[in-house]
This record gives sequence, C-alpha cells and structure tokens, in this order.
Amino acid sequence: MMSSHDQNHPINNDTSDENTTHFGFQTVEKNEKESKVASVFHSVAQQYDVMNDLMSFGIHRLWKRFTIDASGVRPGNKVLDLAGGTGDLTAKFSQLVGREGKVILADINSSMLNVGRDKLRDLGLVQNIEYVQANAQYLPFEDNTFDIITIAFGLRNVTDKDMALRSMYRVLKPGGRLLVLEFSKPEHELVNKAYDFYSFNILPKIGEIVAKDGDSYQYLAESIRMHPDQETLKTMMDTAGFEQTSFKNLTGGVVALHKGYKF
Amino acid sequence: MPQTISQQLMFAQALSAILETVINQFLGYNLHGIRALKPLSEKTLTIKLAELPFPLSFTVSDEKIHVSSNDAHNDCCLITSISSLIELKKEQQLTDLIKKDKLDIQGDLKVAQRFADIAQTLDIDWQSELAKRIGDIPAYKLGQLGRKLLKTLNFAGTKIQADASEWLIHQKRLIITATEMSYFNQDVEDVEQQVSALSQRLEQLTKHISKLS
Repeated sequence: MMSSHDQNHPINNDTSDENTTHFGFQTVEKNEKESKVASVFHSVAQQYDVMNDLMSFGIHRLWKRFTIDASGVRPGNKVLDLAGGTGDLTAKFSQLVGREGKVILADINSSMLNVGRDKLRDLGLVQNIEYVQANAQYLPFEDNTFDIITIAFGLRNVTDKDMALRSMYRVLKPGGRLLVLEFSKPEHELVNKAYDFYSFNILPKIGEIVAKDGDSYQYLAESIRMHPDQETLKTMMDTAGFEQTSFKNLTGGVVALHKGYKF
Repeated sequence: MPQTISQQLMFAQALSAILETVINQFLGYNLHGIRALKPLSEKTLTIKLAELPFPLSFTVSDEKIHVSSNDAHNDCCLITSISSLIELKKEQQLTDLIKKDKLDIQGDLKVAQRFADIAQTLDIDWQSELAKRIGDIPAYKLGQLGRKLLKTLNFAGTKIQADASEWLIHQKRLIITATEMSYFNQDVEDVEQQVSALSQRLEQLTKHISKLS
C-alpha cells in the first residue's frame, strides 16, 4: 500500500484498463477488487458506526438527514437503500414510508448486513424492512420496482460504477429518483489541503486505535481520492440514462449529494 | 444555483435533528402524548415560518414524530411567523390571525388541530420522572430544594425590582413614574390643542387684515 505521505498520489487518474480497476491507489484486477473491498468491510463492520461518528465528528448524521430530506419520500414508497451497511438511512426511511411502504436494505457484504439487521431489530424496526445481499452491478430486482434508490458512501467501493448506475436505472420506476451520497472534491484549496492531511495522517491512526485496523482506513482515504469528482459523477449518471441530474456540495464539497431521475 | 452558508452548514438538518430529539424526549415522558399520536399516524404537518428560510415538517409514525426540512408532501401546511404561532395558543385566535393575514392554512385543518392538542397534553411530572432515575427520596429533596429556590428567586426578583424603582425614581430621579408620565402626556396634548387653536385664530386674523387692506 502506498505511503500515507505520498504527495504524488494519483488523484482521480483513470489508469485502469478494461480488466483492471482501482483499489485505493493500487491498480488491481477487476475480479480481485471485490474480495479486497469485502475483506475491508468484514474487518470494520463491528466498529463501523463508532468510527463514522469519530471520523466525521458526527456530521455524517446531518449528511444522511440531508439525503432523506432531498429524497422527498412519502408514505407508501418503495425504497432501496443500496450499500446500506448498518442501516442509518433504512431506519429513517422505514418510519417515513409507513405500513404500506417498504424498504430494502441491500449490501454486498454479509458482515455489514448482519450488523445492520441486528441494529434495526434492536430499534424495533421490523415490519417493513427486507434484507438482501446484493451486488450493485447486478441488482436482483425486477425492472421499474423502486420509487427511490439511495447509495450512501458505497459507490466508490463498487468495481464497475457505470454498470452499477445502469443497474440502478433499470430497477427504478419511471418518476423515481436516485440519490448518491459520496465523498467528493472540496471546493476550496485550503479545505482540500486540510482534508488531505486529516485523511492520510489522522484518519488511519484513529482506525488503528479504535478499530485496530489502520490499513482499512488508509484504503478509505485512498478510495475517496480515486472517486470521480462532482462533475464527472454527474456525467456518469447522465450517461447511465438519468435525467435532470444535479448535485449539492455539503461541508464545502467534502461530500456531495447527486440526484437524478428516471422518466 | 450557489448554496447559501446555511445550506452548506446544513442548519436546517441540525435544527430539525435537535427539534426531533427534544419533541420525542418530551413524548417519551408523557403517555397521553404518545396515545394522542395514534390518529395522526403517517400524517404530516408543515410549518413555514417567516423567520426561517426553510419549512419544518412534522410526520407521525408509530410512537415518534419525525422532523424534516422537506415539504414535498404534507396533509396540512401553516404559513405564519413565530409570534403568530405563539398567539395561536390563546383560544379563538385562529380566525383573527387569518383575517389579519398573519396565518395561512392549506390542507386539512383537523391535522393542525390534532398536533396542537398533542402540544397541549404534554404535561410532564418532572419529579416522578426524576424519581425513576435517582430514587424517590433524592427526587423529593431535589424537588423541595427546587421549589424553595424558585420561591427565593421570585422574592429576590420582586425585592430587587422594588428597590431599583425606589432608587431610580426617588433617590436618583433618573426616571419618572407611570402617573407622572401620564400627566406629562396630558400636558403635551393640552399644549398641542392650544397651539392648534392659536394657529387657527392667527389664520383668521390674517384673512381679516388682508380683506381690510
């Protein structure tokens, strides 16, 4: 793995060919990325919520709230919370769609799904939630199934993002919308520098102390840098078929919420 | 469209998160409030306050109220200001406020009335809530201490107010009493009337002189 102080790290350079992709700053075979990402999330699943609060100083809760507000969810809606992990969005959606609605919590990683399921059951949320272990690139649902799809902090871990976006488009109902909440590129250079320092120097240390796994959080920092910036992701969504695509920067662009419709 | 600082800082989400936590804590202390939520299940009340750049929507689900800053869907919407919202507490203010254009209601009025009923049923017995956490005797003692403290503070407040009035009005003569103010106002009105009468008299005299010349 690349040094955390390497200032020449390849920020967002597409150095992958047809058979390779990025795993942080490394270039790996496409079929290798899935198992590498899986091992990261198997490792961090139990400490995921604590680490999220620590790393973002609790702001991730506001980012998720913003996503739910922007979704325009209403009673009776069918929602897919993709890469839903420990179920933060699912918990809120479940209460807002009511008895007539349904929320599917989907994640490729069984450990994350188990932690999410236990957490939601402990909260008494059982009546309108289903759990599916699924790969975002090959969603196991019929065409035109969901009113809303959200993917929060998950898209950057997907091996083939374009394929995943096309798969999401397929399972959305006409009139439905996709919301992608993901780390992005800070708008101001000063914020960018501070954020870089925090991500590569402090974040892996927190991971090492709290989750006893510095490498996974090193990957997290690297994967954020390799993720497409705001405009690139918007173009990718347009290419996948989404219409009226837009994005909003949150916390100075540290995170961006992309939204697109299927008509 | 460029985002405002409040959007960047997610002020709307922070406020709705705080409101949601506080409201549900209050509801948790009060069984009547929770029971009153049942008929409102899955109903949403949106309040658009003149003082806030975003709406606040209150949605009921099971035994909780969810607060959001999204008004994509609601059963009733109140467009008003914080001061008018407080005035709504008084009975029979609704029609008056609507007539004065201080309140606009869109949608099902019953939903707004039921939300208002819930707000009024939140009568919390703080001493018994405290007793559940720290025990009966400490809670009783703390309650007793609190009441004593409140009484002392009230007394001190009244005393300070009286002493301050005495010092400012009679000793330092920095301010005047309400009666003196009223006498002064009356004198000013009398002078105003006399000046007005004098000015009319002068006008008449001027006209009379101009006719003679």
